[in-house]
Amino acid sequence: MSKYIIRRLIQAIPVLFGITIVVYAILLAAPGGPTARFANNPKFTEADREKFKKAWGLDQPIPVQYCRWMGICNPENEGLAVFIGSTGWPAFLPTSISGTTNGLLHGDLGVSIDTGEAVASRIARAALPTFILAGNALVIWILVALLIGVYAAIHRYSLFDQAATVFAYVGYAMPTFWLGIMLIFLFSGPGLNILPAGGMTETRLSPPFGSDTYWPYFAANPATAIVDIVKHLILPVFTLVVVNIAGDSRFIRSSMLEALGQDYVRTAKAKGLPVRVVIFKHALRNALLPVVTNIGLEIPFLFTGAIVTETIFSWPGIGRMTIEATRSFDYPTLMGLLLITSALVVLANLIADITYAIVDPRIKY
Amino acid sequence: MSASMAAPGLLADRPANDILLDVRDLRTYFHVMDGTVRAVDGVSFSIRRGQTLGIVGESGCGKSVTALSIMRLLDIPPAEIASGEIIFEGRNLLKLSEDEMREVRGNDIAMIFQEPMTSLNPVFTIGDQIAEAVMLHQGLSRKEAWNKAIESLKAVGINNPERRVKQYPHEMSGGMRQRVMIAMALSCDPKLLIADEPTTALDVTIQAQILELIRMVQDETGAALMLITHDLGVVAETVHDIAVMYAGRIVEQGSVDEVLLSPKHPYTEGLIRSIPSRGMRGQRLNVIKGTVPNPFNMPEGCNFAPRCPYAFEPCWTLDPQIEEADPPDVACWLYTPAPGFLAPKRGAQRVAGELASGIRS
Ligand SMILES: Nc1ncnc2c1ncn2[C@@H]1O[C@H](COP(=O)(O)OP(=O)(O)OP(=O)(O)O)[C@@H](O)[C@H]1O
Ligand code: SF4
Ligand SMILES: [Mg+2]
Repeated sequence: MSKYIIRRLIQAIPVLFGITIVVYAILLAAPGGPTARFANNPKFTEADREKFKKAWGLDQPIPVQYCRWMGICNPENEGLAVFIGSTGWPAFLPTSISGTTNGLLHGDLGVSIDTGEAVASRIARAALPTFILAGNALVIWILVALLIGVYAAIHRYSLFDQAATVFAYVGYAMPTFWLGIMLIFLFSGPGLNILPAGGMTETRLSPPFGSDTYWPYFAANPATAIVDIVKHLILPVFTLVVVNIAGDSRFIRSSMLEALGQDYVRTAKAKGLPVRVVIFKHALRNALLPVVTNIGLEIPFLFTGAIVTETIFSWPGIGRMTIEATRSFDYPTLMGLLLITSALVVLANLIADITYAIVDPRIKY
Repeated sequence: MSASMAAPGLLADRPANDILLDVRDLRTYFHVMDGTVRAVDGVSFSIRRGQTLGIVGESGCGKSVTALSIMRLLDIPPAEIASGEIIFEGRNLLKLSEDEMREVRGNDIAMIFQEPMTSLNPVFTIGDQIAEAVMLHQGLSRKEAWNKAIESLKAVGINNPERRVKQYPHEMSGGMRQRVMIAMALSCDPKLLIADEPTTALDVTIQAQILELIRMVQDETGAALMLITHDLGVVAETVHDIAVMYAGRIVEQGSVDEVLLSPKHPYTEGLIRSIPSRGMRGQRLNVIKGTVPNPFNMPEGCNFAPRCPYAFEPCWTLDPQIEEADPPDVACWLYTPAPGFLAPKRGAQRVAGELASGIRS
């Protein structure tokens, strides 16, 4: 098993490498470019543009730009020596050997054009809110979809099953942005003002999440702080999971029904096992096999969904940062974000594959 | 091998009051979109302790539904047990609560299914699947149950049971899996073993081995056996008594010798004729002409009339019942005089010994 995991991890390396090239190519192909942020500024002359380009290294040939971003090239050197770090070792080696500090390979994703802050630390700060949102969404999504799907399968054609079907169609068809706005309207509007409309913390009570003063505040009042975050989580989590719950509850229901109709379930009943064991051991375990793969493939939607959801609910995560970076043509930040989300997708698939190999004894590894 | 030698007749002359299972007028219907399928329509038979009964008939005649009704494994709805009694050791299984019925399943009555490839759960080891029933019914600990699983694998002739017990079904062949199913069925020492076409899905050579195994374990444990098959050869080699089913009814019953060597019912005769025999190799198989009646549109008189070469007047209007048969055990107007009609055409009876030669070879 551990051999299989290691092999899969090694296989992921070329994929991640490919992703860096694709991310780079996509952003190159996108209209605008880093200087588009000044397009509406009449004082920004052609000379300023050249200066800006030179300052950000945009005057270099594209392969050089890419290599610098990756950390294969050392921007201090010229000619063929660009591949050599300050210590004389090849630049792509770890900083302690090559002395090179720039580029992805050395943990440097560049500097945000917008804020001047290091992209890596910007993303790191936004990652925690996103993980809180996506993590809660994932757990609730899987639990609720399982409960609905399994219950509906066991009580097929019951009132509950029919209600679940209606919910699934409505939920699946509902656009996320519309749902989010409707929820804000319903629960934070003038009528029923019981939940916060956005943000991650109550501004009047608590410092902004992740700021320097936040953690001391959190340490002093952990219960209040957690309740505060939970309150802010309800609407965005709901918005984020509705589509997934709608789809997966159907999927789990049909998978469960299929399992319940299998010969081995009849065998289990013929052994005299209680219904509970027949359903939750014999049928469910098999029904979950396709579900594992399916959920693995859907996890990326948590990140794409987060872009819309975080924007609607002003959630300070990487989704909202993606929109902000796009608006301000902040290419280094955008590139870092795309890279991180792609890497997370690869990771999610890897976890799904490994889980599948654990739960299905027929998988050879 | 002769048919009379093949049947393990050791318990044939036990007293009739030693009845283990008594099925009376069982009617199992399926309510489906197009109407009602009377899959089992008034079946009665009984099995004594240690007796071996074969149930034969064409596909769709209600053999599996009969077995599943006894085990109460049909989904209700669409199934409905419209009437009848299933008396097992003095208790009517149809009246038991679900919990009481669970005590019977796997413990008193065990069942082996046709499809060894799909009857075992792919995600659990076979040891787990055998031990689970043992733990439940015999209250053994995990460890003891596991040892019992190894023991029963050994008993069904599986080599290296200590290793096999840890394997998953996909690591075994079909024949091996059917052995596992038999081991599982026997693990709780059932009083009745129902085998629903246990060899149909297997290669011919494996079929013989599995039948031999069933015969052997039946002999050793003394459990009664209800063997369902559409293969008369299998019946002849494995069981002592036989019931022939057609369209949800038993049309003829008796000992294997009686029924196969001198079949009375025209349907039984047709079945025997359709067995390929050595002398007939290369010739066209004698299959009963026509098809099983449409379950939504059963013939008015005898169900077999549209296919019966001997059908005469009463057959088209009157339905022969095996319960009212005289002489007993065959539901046909050729034998029981139809009310209001002249004596049956006994002249139509056939030379039976010759027919049975097919199964002897
Ligand atoms: N779940 C069900 N719903 C509707 N009809 C059914 C169902 N199960 C069985 N039947 C019908 O009941 C009749 C008897 O089926 P059964 O499975 O008992 O036949 P069988 O004698 O076992 O045949 P085979 O040799 O093919 O196994 C068939 O006409 C079948 O279509
Ligand atoms: S009752 Fe008539 S139709 Fe039915 S089997 Fe006998 S002879 Fe044939
Ligand atoms: Mg069948």
